[in-house]
Amino acid sequence: MRRPGIRSLAGGAAGIVAGVIGGIALTSASTAGGPALAVPGLEAAHVPPVLTTMDEPVTLRYAIVCPPRADGEPCDGSGSVFVRAGQSGSFRRLALSRGESSAEGRYFVELPHEIVASPDGFSYYAVLSDDASGATVMVPAGGDMAPQRSFPLRDPTEVVLGTHTFGHGRPPDERVVTAPWGSAVGEAGLAGSRELGFSGPSSFDVAADGTVAVLDQVNARVERWSRAGIQAIDLQVSGGLADFALEPDGTMDVLEPPTRTTPAPVLRSFRADGSPRWAQRLSDRTWAKLGAGPVGPTVQQQPSEQWLPVAEHGAALGRSAQAAHGRPGRPFAGGREVLVERVGGGELRLAELAGNVLLRSWRITSATPLGEVQLAEPHGNRLVVVTKTYTDDRREYVVLVLDRSGVANSFAVDSPEWAESAPLARFRLTGSSLYRLGSTRAGLFVDRFDVEVSR
Amino acid sequence: MKMFLLAFGVGFVLAGATGAQAYHRFWANCNYDAPTFMTTMTRDAGQDYANAARYEGYQWGGGCWNYDDVDSYPYDAPGDPSAHGEGGDCSGLTFKTWRESTDNWRDGRYYWRALRNVHGPYTAGDFKNGLGAPNHVVAKSTAGVMDAFASSTHIGMIFFRTLYGGDQIVEAKCEACGTNIFYRTYRSDPSYGGVARWGWTG
Repeated sequence: MRRPGIRSLAGGAAGIVAGVIGGIALTSASTAGGPALAVPGLEAAHVPPVLTTMDEPVTLRYAIVCPPRADGEPCDGSGSVFVRAGQSGSFRRLALSRGESSAEGRYFVELPHEIVASPDGFSYYAVLSDDASGATVMVPAGGDMAPQRSFPLRDPTEVVLGTHTFGHGRPPDERVVTAPWGSAVGEAGLAGSRELGFSGPSSFDVAADGTVAVLDQVNARVERWSRAGIQAIDLQVSGGLADFALEPDGTMDVLEPPTRTTPAPVLRSFRADGSPRWAQRLSDRTWAKLGAGPVGPTVQQQPSEQWLPVAEHGAALGRSAQAAHGRPGRPFAGGREVLVERVGGGELRLAELAGNVLLRSWRITSATPLGEVQLAEPHGNRLVVVTKTYTDDRREYVVLVLDRSGVANSFAVDSPEWAESAPLARFRLTGSSLYRLGSTRAGLFVDRFDVEVSR
Repeated sequence: MKMFLLAFGVGFVLAGATGAQAYHRFWANCNYDAPTFMTTMTRDAGQDYANAARYEGYQWGGGCWNYDDVDSYPYDAPGDPSAHGEGGDCSGLTFKTWRESTDNWRDGRYYWRALRNVHGPYTAGDFKNGLGAPNHVVAKSTAGVMDAFASSTHIGMIFFRTLYGGDQIVEAKCEACGTNIFYRTYRSDPSYGGVARWGWTG
């Protein structure tokens, strides 16, 4: 091997220096950014009045969220609502007004009485603009193909809960899973710290045969508890607080949140052995809940506040196809949908739909504030509802089994939630059993409650 | 020349290695400009500001980001303020969105640009307790747009309410989560309290 000369050594040294400088300059330009390279897009928020009471005036309110202005003032926005009486036909354009307050959405329109009073309800969508940039956004994204749909509660079954008495939660009929924190089979992963808070398994589901599947995203796996024992199946997931659903054929759906490197939510589909099938970005920016619909997974999303199918018969749907099939309620077998609307501090409206026909409805009021609705699912000719009731320092779940005459059964369930999970993934209904995912400092558990009644 | 090119390549690769980067350079892009004193502060301008911080990452103890929709340093060690990565933490994002002063006795409105590196004097627990002249606690059932829910370890601002009774929360949640809008049930969680900023003008 020939010895390198002075010129070669000098050239090599200069090359290393130049390479390092060039590399740093390039990575600095590509990562740190300096001046802004782009601005965030136009966003919107809206809560649709999916269930209205008779003669209730309806004001549609929207937040239009633009890139921040240099002068610190709010977005200079505008928009129109395209609305019609009933659930079909042509839409009529109404301009949005710009109000003084943005506490519930600065842009609003009061719907005319002839539209609100329609016996078939009304349907609408909005086109919102950032007048500074000319950008527009449609809410819901499905526009006239999948508009917001609102239905009147003609003769709802009234349920008055009164003031909730805390501390009288019903004990479970059976504790079906107990798993200490850890990473071995039969244990459940725990992430976080005392300073940042803890998160445990974020969701679960229960098969028709009673097998409990827990999404242990911290350990990137699903664990199944069945009569045959405990089985762990590895999954390629991000580790974020995800929702989870089992399909009847064993397919596993994992609904992932945005992460540091994937800023949009994604639904991942896995075969029963854990091998990935596909991953599909959601139509909307934010999700609340995943459900296994009659033909595939469906997700309740924002800003549309609709249930959007993400796959049908095993095939993923693109974002525009999802948006084009948005519905106001969660779909169930037989073409039924369940609509949910939490109103104000202590009111919950529920309805069952077939197509665009309202079959039956309930209006529940509580003197103690109501929180989120964890579950609202048909069970035979009844509806099982799990909602949270809370004060500033206490919380419990209220389980209601509703029929046409009112409450067929009800009980309270405490909420041992030491580790964080996905927001609306604490309960699952399988057959006549209601399952609860809970956690303590020692580990994770799943409890079963029998909801059968003999009325 | 051959040696130069070979060495240039080696140097270029070395520059990409973490240890060769000035750890961290993101804060080198930040500034310490004075905030702009404002007479107005609307909730939807707060939504605009917090929404624009989405995708820009999370930095424990941080409060500086740009608007390129990318977390420039997504793999910083969690809980390490010396990482100097991009993004605010939960309380830094809230402080800047709520246009607060670094002096906790001032309740005026101070507009901080995104690249202004400031975290503010409050932890999540301070916000929860309503510390500082601009802040106060509110009943959770009445908390609205751009009010917040705070625990001893975290704070997130209400972007909008929802149909199912939870909230869309804009928050800098953790290094792996980044800053984004998530569906949360903090409102009914007793470890969280309601907290708000005085002085909204619309």
